[in-house]
Amino acid sequence: MATLSVENLTYVYGEKSPFQKTAIEDVTFSAKSGEIIGVIGHTGSGKSTLVQHFNGLLKANSGKVLLDGADIWENPKEIRKIRFKIGMVFQYPEYQLFEETVYKDIAFGPTNMGLSAEDINKRVLDTAQMLGITAEMLEKSPFDLSGGEKRRVAIAGVMAMQPEIIVFDEPTAGLDPAGRDIVLEKIKEYRDRTGALVFIVSHSMEDMARVADKLLVMNSGHLSMFDTVKKVFSNPQKLKKIGLNVPQVTKVFSALKEKGIPVDENVFTVNDAVSYLLSFLKGGKNND
Amino acid sequence: MIKDITFGQYFPAKSIIHRLDPRIKLVLSLMFIIFIFVAQNAVSLAFIGTLTLLFVLISRVPVSLFLKNIKAILFVIILTSVLNALYVTTGNVLLEFWIIKITADGVKRALFMSARIIILIISSSLLTYTTTPTELTDAIERLLKPLRFIGLGEAVHVMAMMITIALRFIPTLIEETDKIMSAQKARGADLESGTLFERIKALIPILVPLLISSVRRAYDLAEAMECRCYNGGSGRQRMKQLKLAGRDYLSLAVLVVCMSAIIAFNIIF
Ligand SMILES: Nc1ncnc2c1ncn2[C@@H]1O[C@H](COP(=O)(O)OP(=O)(O)OP(=O)(O)O)[C@@H](O)[C@H]1O
Ligand SMILES: [Mg+2]
Repeated sequence: MATLSVENLTYVYGEKSPFQKTAIEDVTFSAKSGEIIGVIGHTGSGKSTLVQHFNGLLKANSGKVLLDGADIWENPKEIRKIRFKIGMVFQYPEYQLFEETVYKDIAFGPTNMGLSAEDINKRVLDTAQMLGITAEMLEKSPFDLSGGEKRRVAIAGVMAMQPEIIVFDEPTAGLDPAGRDIVLEKIKEYRDRTGALVFIVSHSMEDMARVADKLLVMNSGHLSMFDTVKKVFSNPQKLKKIGLNVPQVTKVFSALKEKGIPVDENVFTVNDAVSYLLSFLKGGKNND
Repeated sequence: MIKDITFGQYFPAKSIIHRLDPRIKLVLSLMFIIFIFVAQNAVSLAFIGTLTLLFVLISRVPVSLFLKNIKAILFVIILTSVLNALYVTTGNVLLEFWIIKITADGVKRALFMSARIIILIISSSLLTYTTTPTELTDAIERLLKPLRFIGLGEAVHVMAMMITIALRFIPTLIEETDKIMSAQKARGADLESGTLFERIKALIPILVPLLISSVRRAYDLAEAMECRCYNGGSGRQRMKQLKLAGRDYLSLAVLVVCMSAIIAFNIIF
């Protein structure tokens, strides 16, 4: 079990330079193992900046990040240990691949952790299997793979470290629908297997509705909402005001309701919509 | 962090110096620098020092930025002063022990040299703080234009284009390096400790992706330039036409007057 708490976090880029920019200001929240938290917000709202504080890649100007109640910067020399517990998959992670083979690249993290060769081997093979990376692919150069495959390899490189908390910055950006589905599914699978706390930064409300338990909404560097998916999406006006929106199907259901058809507005995914509509049409009453 | 490396230290501000034509600015700066060494006595040096301070104030670039640059070469200044003070042994002896002899002339010479170096640093920083690197290369390219008469026109253009592209991509490269470093640190890469050999080895996970993305970027850029029909310098026109304005002639006039004053001071005092 792990708990991540963020207290009054403020971060300023280029302090005391003419380009000074407060990227996040006074952000406070707390999350615990087993949750998938979607981080949403308009472009430049500070999502990436916020998540890079979790494992100490950025150090806040003021405020704290607590892992299980202890400040991650308590002992700056031990920050690498924190990074083994809190993994981070950057946007377009395929650009960080560098080894000769996929196997070696996935092994990079576990090797840095100082694990035994046996452990490393096991972790690499397990993770590869979970992410659908075949034995044949493991021996290839990472640069000979397709974009979607590279993405999976890069994600495997972080998952193989088996962090208790794992952060994904726009993991599905630039992938085709099938690729997106696979990545989201694997993230969910990782959570189910390890009970980790997962953060996903995303611009897709549809994706978030599908996988997230809670949503953390950023607006111009401030934490605007931190609540369950249902609560956040039941407030479309507020989302609109900060440049976001509810999923498309939810809009359809709102429109139906406006037309006088007594449907439930709290439908966020297409799958839910299908089963809801089927039972609605059959029984004439909702089963929610 | 790697971003703290300032490069092409342009400082955006609204001042007449920022708006001067870069060609004029470059030529004036070179003239000014030559005159720092033409100034032969205390009066003319004080005059040129005052002018420099005046220009700094007009430029609206924070004085602290200039102090930072002076601090960076403080060692050189001190070293030159000491060497000069020791080297010159004429004039009244102020201090003498063992083989060291400090004279009034020596001290004077040391002060003179330090003042010159400081003015030199301030005036050249003034140029880079108020002119973007692109403007500078542009100015160089145009000033070297007469070289086309000896068949070097294309060479000048190619050089200028290369410098412009290089300058343009330095911030991008720094950003990219930063990103890759963060990504590898997140995977537990240890860049800060270990023996020299270990540290060099630790750079591989950063250099390989950086090299790959640079090559990719270079191809992309080449393709994009070709798509826009780039084929060298001949027949190329410019979006930003440089045109000398009133302020350019004015500043040229001011400088000529000042330079004459320095020559006059040199003769009179
Ligand atoms: N390295 C940097 N230097 C200076 N300012 C930065 C830097 N990185 C981000 N910023 C600024 O900080 C603010 C927050 O940026 P951040 O990358 O956290 O936003 P984001 O929510 O992740 O946006 P996106 O959805 O586009 O990824 C932005 O206004 C951005 O311009
Ligand atoms: Mg981002």
